[in-house]
Amino acid sequence: MAALRDGDLVALQLLLKAPSKDAVRQLCQECFSSPPAALGPLAQRACPGLAVSAEEAEQLVSALHNLTRHVVFRGLTRAEDILCLFPENFHQNLKNLLTKIILENISAWRNEAQASQISLPRLVDMDWRVDIKTSSDSIVRMAVPTCLLQLKIQEDAALCGNNPVVSALTMELSKETLDTMLEGLGRIRDQLSAVANK
Amino acid sequence: MGLLNFTREPLPEAVSADMHNLNQLSAQQFSALTEVLFRFLTEPKEVERFLTQLSDFATMNKISLGPLKNIVKSILLVPNGALKRNLSSEQVRADFIALGLSEEKASYFAEQWKVNSPTLTRLAVGQTLMINQLIDMEWKFGVTAGSSELEKVGSIFLQLKLVIKKGSQLENVYVELTLPQFYSFLHEMERVKTSLESFS
Repeated sequence: MAALRDGDLVALQLLLKAPSKDAVRQLCQECFSSPPAALGPLAQRACPGLAVSAEEAEQLVSALHNLTRHVVFRGLTRAEDILCLFPENFHQNLKNLLTKIILENISAWRNEAQASQISLPRLVDMDWRVDIKTSSDSIVRMAVPTCLLQLKIQEDAALCGNNPVVSALTMELSKETLDTMLEGLGRIRDQLSAVANK
Repeated sequence: MGLLNFTREPLPEAVSADMHNLNQLSAQQFSALTEVLFRFLTEPKEVERFLTQLSDFATMNKISLGPLKNIVKSILLVPNGALKRNLSSEQVRADFIALGLSEEKASYFAEQWKVNSPTLTRLAVGQTLMINQLIDMEWKFGVTAGSSELEKVGSIFLQLKLVIKKGSQLENVYVELTLPQFYSFLHEMERVKTSLESFS
């Protein structure tokens, strides 16, 4: 991800026309969260509030997007590191304001980036219930406990956009299966502790 | 014929005659036949082997295979019904006697029933309907080093592959969990285990 380009720096100065610091803050947040494809519509929405032309709005939005994403990508956490991104002659107050806003949001943005990372379908919820089977066509009378486990699984967030698809999978486990599963989970826990203690 | 324990339905006519024929076998022959039957009952998938053993029995004892198969069909009615209804060995013995089998042979069969019934019960329970049975679970965990949004990540992920039996097909389900989710999942599964154990 490229550091700030000249075009970006020029565009950022347009923020001097913003009505308030909060407006700048708001715009920064929206620009970070927006995927590249949605920057166009975002620019159109921001345009009237900033008293800039449509083309200028697009450049500004793109610049903010690049700036915020770059900071998060690099994992910059100190004010000095962020200030370094701007050239010496950049407007001092604007530079400080942007740095301040970025620092305020950096950990939330980092979490957001991690949450929207590509992954296998994610577990979002689980529920269970224990039933006692009392009768069936193969045995008229019995008392066999069994477990029903329901996992709510969400498909990859990136594929679903704003409408995550959550599917519910219900499965049945016998006592033996559960014991085997717990053995496996226990081994994972032991390995995780070993890794953590290194 | 009085009330039978192993079934409430009327029996096929041939059963009496088949029991009478059974009585003609020597104790040794009956014991050998019983062994073949129980081997089949405890391993119901081994149909070929069962038929081969029956055929061998028929040849060795100079009995025709056809009638032997009919006799075996009649005998098997009792253990199948007894399994369904959790009958005791006394009840099985009583039923055979009611059907016309000699006391000696009925007692012998009931004795074999007692020995084999834990295995047979387990098999019957295992055949009971299960919805989306979990067959297998594979897992791997690792560290996410970086992504297109974050140069350095260093977070742990856990991936599970669950093999589910849906009807007659197997379906693989892939799930990813975060570390806190894993601990929570483990905790819940331990609670399930406690619950199942208290009902066993």
